[in-house]
Amino acid sequence: MEGSDSKSVSGTVQEKPANYKRISDDDLYRHSSQYRFWSFTPEQLEQKRIDTNAQAVVSVEERLSAFRDENNADLTEEEVKTLLEKAVPVTMEEEVKLVNFYAKKVQGIAQHMNLPTEVVATSLTFFRRFYLENSVMDIDPKTIVHTTIFLACKSENYFISVDSFAKKTKSVREAILKHEFKLLESLKFSLLNHHPYRPLHGFFLDIQNLLTGKVDIKYMGQIYENCKKRITEALLTDAIYFYTPPQITLAALLLEDEALTLKYLETKFKPKEEEAETETEVDEKKKNKKVEDKDNSPKEDKPESSINYDVLLSLILACKEKIIELPSVTMDDAKNIAAKLYFCNNPMKAIANSKRKQEESVSDSGEKKQKI
Amino acid sequence: MSSSSQFKQLEKLGNGTYATVYKGLNKTTGVYVALKEVKLDSEEGTPSTAIREISLMKELKHDNIVRLYDVIHTENKLTLVFEYMDKDLKKYMDSRTTGNSPQGLELSLVKYFQWQLFEGISFCHENKILHRDLKPQNLLINNKGQLKLGDFGLARAFGIPVNTFSSEVVTLWYRAPDVLMGSRSYSTSIDMWSCGCILAEMLTGKPLFPGTNDEEQLKLIFDMMGTPTESTWPTVTTLPKYNSNFSIQVPKDLKKLLQPFTKEQLDDIVIDLLNGLLQLNPSMRLSAKQALHHPWFSEYYQQQPHQ
Repeated sequence: MEGSDSKSVSGTVQEKPANYKRISDDDLYRHSSQYRFWSFTPEQLEQKRIDTNAQAVVSVEERLSAFRDENNADLTEEEVKTLLEKAVPVTMEEEVKLVNFYAKKVQGIAQHMNLPTEVVATSLTFFRRFYLENSVMDIDPKTIVHTTIFLACKSENYFISVDSFAKKTKSVREAILKHEFKLLESLKFSLLNHHPYRPLHGFFLDIQNLLTGKVDIKYMGQIYENCKKRITEALLTDAIYFYTPPQITLAALLLEDEALTLKYLETKFKPKEEEAETETEVDEKKKNKKVEDKDNSPKEDKPESSINYDVLLSLILACKEKIIELPSVTMDDAKNIAAKLYFCNNPMKAIANSKRKQEESVSDSGEKKQKI
Repeated sequence: MSSSSQFKQLEKLGNGTYATVYKGLNKTTGVYVALKEVKLDSEEGTPSTAIREISLMKELKHDNIVRLYDVIHTENKLTLVFEYMDKDLKKYMDSRTTGNSPQGLELSLVKYFQWQLFEGISFCHENKILHRDLKPQNLLINNKGQLKLGDFGLARAFGIPVNTFSSEVVTLWYRAPDVLMGSRSYSTSIDMWSCGCILAEMLTGKPLFPGTNDEEQLKLIFDMMGTPTESTWPTVTTLPKYNSNFSIQVPKDLKKLLQPFTKEQLDDIVIDLLNGLLQLNPSMRLSAKQALHHPWFSEYYQQQPHQ
C-alpha cells in the first residue's frame, strides 16, 4: 500500500524535482491495451464491422458459387432459385444482432456458473471483441461461447479445470479448447480488462468522503447495487468501445441518482471562484492529495484543473444515452439469422429445407417446424 | 503476426518459471530475440501462467521492462518472443567476481542500475501490477548498461481488495518479512523489500540475507534490521507465523556491516535509501515513486530533460 510522504528515514525532506510530473490515471488508461486496441469512434467501429462482414461475404459467396457450379448438372431450376434466395450471406446488421444475442447468453451462462462479476464481464467482453475481428460466418458463435468464458477464467486468475468446466457447462473439453488460440490471437493477446466496477468502488468512497453527512450510507448501498446492475447491462452496449470505464460508471450513477451525481461532480470538478491561490500552491495540494487516494481513485480523479466540468458533463450525458440503448434481440430474430447462417454454410440443407416446406404445405399438415 | 519459421533458434539461455528460454535470431531483420517456449499440454490448453504473463506484458511498455514482441503458436507449443538482453544481473555480478571473493559494483553503476530498477517497478505499480519475484536473475541487462525487469511469470494484477495472494511467492532471499510471517495482504511493498536486498547485493557482491528456510531467513533479517515489536510495527504479533520467541535483536549499523565488502566508500545517503527500503513494517517502506525521488538520485532527476 502507498504510504504518506512523511516516512523519510533520515528526516530529510524529499524535494520533488522541478520537472516532476505524475502520470495521471487517464494517461495510464491511454497506455492500456484496452484503449489502444479496443477503443473506437462510432465511425471506426461501424467501419470495422462493415469490413469484417464484407470479407466473410466474399468467401461465402465464392463458396456458394463454386457449389452451384459443381452441382449445376444435378440441380433443377427451382433448386437454383431456392439457393439464390435462401443460401445468402448474413448482413452486417444481422451479424451484430446475432453477436448481441449470444453475448447476453455468455453473460447468462457465466452468471449461472456463479463466476465473480469481473470474470463475467471479461467473458462477454472477449466474446464481443472476437466478433469485431471475425465474422459469425467464419466461426459460429455457438462454438466460441464456452471458450471465451474458460479463457476469461484463466486470464482473471480464477482457476477452474477444463474438466470441471466442461461438466458444469455440459460441454466437452475438445470443443472448449479447440478455438482457444484463435481466440487469443483475435484478442491480439490483449487480455487485461478495465471494467467500470472498480471506478464504481472508487467513486463511492469519494462521494462519501466529499459529501460526508449529506448522504445516507444505507441509501448509498442500494445505489451501489443498482449501479452495478446498470454497468453489467452497459457492457452489452457499444458504450464500452466509445467511453472509458469511469465515464460509463458516472453515466450509470447519473441514471441512478441524477441530483446526487451532479452535486458530486460540481463539488469535485466545478472551479470555485474564491480559490485564488497561486498556481504552485494548488499544484502542491493536488500532488499530496494524489498520494492519499491513489489506490482507489477512479480514472477521472486527476488534478481538478485539468478536467473541464462542462466537457465532462456533456461526455457523461452522451454516454448515458448510449448505455440505455440496450440491444434487444428477440429469440425469433436470432433464430432466423441463425437459420440463414446455417444455410449459407450448408447450401444443400437450404434446398432440403425448402423441399420439406413445400411438401408440408402440399400435404397441408399445418405443422411448421424450423430447425436451427 | 510472425511465424515460427521467421526465427532461428540458437543456444538455450535458461529456464523460466514455466518455460525454456532460447536465444533466437529474427531472420528477416537480423535482430536477436529471446524465445520463451511454453509447452502446450492438451490437458488444460494454454497454461494460465503463460496467459497471465502475456496479459501483463501487453500492458507494460516501458524502457525498463523487457518487451514482448509477439506470440507464436505451433502445434504443441506457444512461443513468446521477447526483446533480447545480453545477460542477467546475477551473471553480470558473477563475471565481476575475482577469484573467490565477491566484488561489489562501482557506486555509479549501482546507482544507474538501481534507478532503472525503480523506474521499471514504479511503472508496474502505477499500472497496478506486482512483480512478486524480483531477484538479480530476473533483472536483465544489455551492453548499453540498460536494465530491464523480466520474467513476469509470477506477477499479477492487483486491485481492491488485495488480501488473497498466496504467500508462496518470491525467492526466499528477497522475500519480505511480512510475507515470511504469513501476511497475505501484501501489496507493492513486497517488491520494494526485494529492491532493497538487490541494492545491498550490488554494493557488496553477495546476497544480503541468504537464508535456507523461512526461519533462518527471518533470523538473518532480524539480526541485521532488529526484531520488530508492536511499537515499531503495530499488528506484527497478529501475523500467522509471528513467534513470540524470536530472539530480540537491535538494528545494526548497515554502513558498518556493508562497508568491508564494497568497492568504494559508502555515504550516508545510500544507506538512508537502503534503510527506507528495508523497513520491516511494510507500511513504512518507501514506495517506488518515493525511492525515485530519494536524494541519492538527485543527479538524475536534475539532469533529465523537461518533458
